Amino acid sequence: MAQDTNQLRVRLVTPERTLFEHTAQSVELPSKAGNMEVLYGHAPLLAELGAGDVTLHGTPDGNERYNVNWGFVEVLPDRVTILASDALRPDEIDVPRAQKQLDHGLELWKQAGESEEAYDEALRVISEAEAKIASASHP
Amino acid sequence: MANVLDLRRRIRSVKNTRQITKAMKMVSAAKLRRAQERALAARPYARMIASVLESLTRRIDLFDDATGNLRHPLFTTRPEKRILLIVISGDKGFAGAFNANILKTAYQFIAGNPDKEIDVEAVGRKGRDQMRRRYPAAVYTEQTDENGHVTRVRNRKAPVEVTGDHPGMLLKLEADRVFEMAQSIIARYMHEEIDAAYIIYNEFKSVIQQRLVVERMLPLIEVGKQQIAGAVEPSKEERERAAEAAVSAGIELEPADTTEADEEARKFGTAQVDYIYEQPSEELFAGLVPQYVSSMLYHAMTESVAAEHAARMTAMDSATNNASDMIDSLTLHMNRVRQAAITKEIIEIVSGAAAL
Repeated sequence: MAQDTNQLRVRLVTPERTLFEHTAQSVELPSKAGNMEVLYGHAPLLAELGAGDVTLHGTPDGNERYNVNWGFVEVLPDRVTILASDALRPDEIDVPRAQKQLDHGLELWKQAGESEEAYDEALRVISEAEAKIASASHP
Repeated sequence: MANVLDLRRRIRSVKNTRQITKAMKMVSAAKLRRAQERALAARPYARMIASVLESLTRRIDLFDDATGNLRHPLFTTRPEKRILLIVISGDKGFAGAFNANILKTAYQFIAGNPDKEIDVEAVGRKGRDQMRRRYPAAVYTEQTDENGHVTRVRNRKAPVEVTGDHPGMLLKLEADRVFEMAQSIIARYMHEEIDAAYIIYNEFKSVIQQRLVVERMLPLIEVGKQQIAGAVEPSKEERERAAEAAVSAGIELEPADTTEADEEARKFGTAQVDYIYEQPSEELFAGLVPQYVSSMLYHAMTESVAAEHAARMTAMDSATNNASDMIDSLTLHMNRVRQAAITKEIIEIVSGAAAL
């Protein structure tokens, strides 16, 4: 098969609009269980995404990176559809605000006490903020 | 009888008003167009979440054997004793009966549930102002237990209380904030602070396809199905009026055709293959449900914003027409007065000449 037919069709959909619809060589996804990379011909898969970066390699405009908080992905052999509750380009991230969010998360974590739910919430806030900061500081 | 000069002044003033209402109509038309585009852009996400949830419910065994309901906290129905009512009104006036209708429906809903405790969450400035005037705000006190943990305790004084408002949410509609609000509502449902949540808003498919609905947001019964508890359809005249205004402002009457995009979105997560589940399927399901509820709320807000602009456009179109009618009748009146004055003068000259 010719090289350029082995392209994934990737869509990134947010609640507000369809952010991105392109072809790519591969996609890196921050699944809840850890990062994974999807290439053409991947077995069908459904996964929940945690906070982290979605990276698209080999799109027509080079590599693209988006930071997501929560998402859901459907992988089919020739296409990948990502639903993300929020997706930001690294240069759109408000670092001071993320820093504040991180402090807030740590505060929550300290106050959580016995409550498991409060812990989960605090961890979610922290990981979200950390992912944002990491994404923005990445070249 | 008013003299010509006074009438001319009145006409000039009405003309000025007409210019303002006309400008407001055109501004509303432009905003409506943008709101419609936004509502359209938000469709794929909502559709996709719904279709993957539906597909998951079919693929995995999530049903409770005892009740036949889905095994998820947001699918459990309890007797409705405490109800959360989300009232989505407009931020500004000059929109005809738009805000009044929403408030009327909200009051009817509250009156129809007299023996229940109702919390009101007001979105939109107009509704918030009215609700606050009518019902007291919820009061909380903080209690510290022996471990030093602070818990907030609600002191309910009246059967109907306003628990929150969200100023400026509609002015700049951002999915983030709406999703946060939905999360807090879900948390309240999970903690059994409320037994059900309803949204009152204007559904807006297009200028001629709109109605006021009371939709049940929680608990969920079936994915992908709207649970309408009550709806107010506009009268035939109102619909014709709206259509007329839309045509004169160059707004499409029929909703844009999105069948193709909808079909595409509906395929999400429903391919006839065996998916690998990266996480246990129950977890996937549990992660998706809150997003589904949130997108429901966001959807209600985008439609309400579009409906508000449409209502304002129609009201301003009526105002412009009324001003034109008034100018016509005033001009006629002025001409008559002027004519009468001329006739009187001629009579005076003629009779004066005859007397000589």
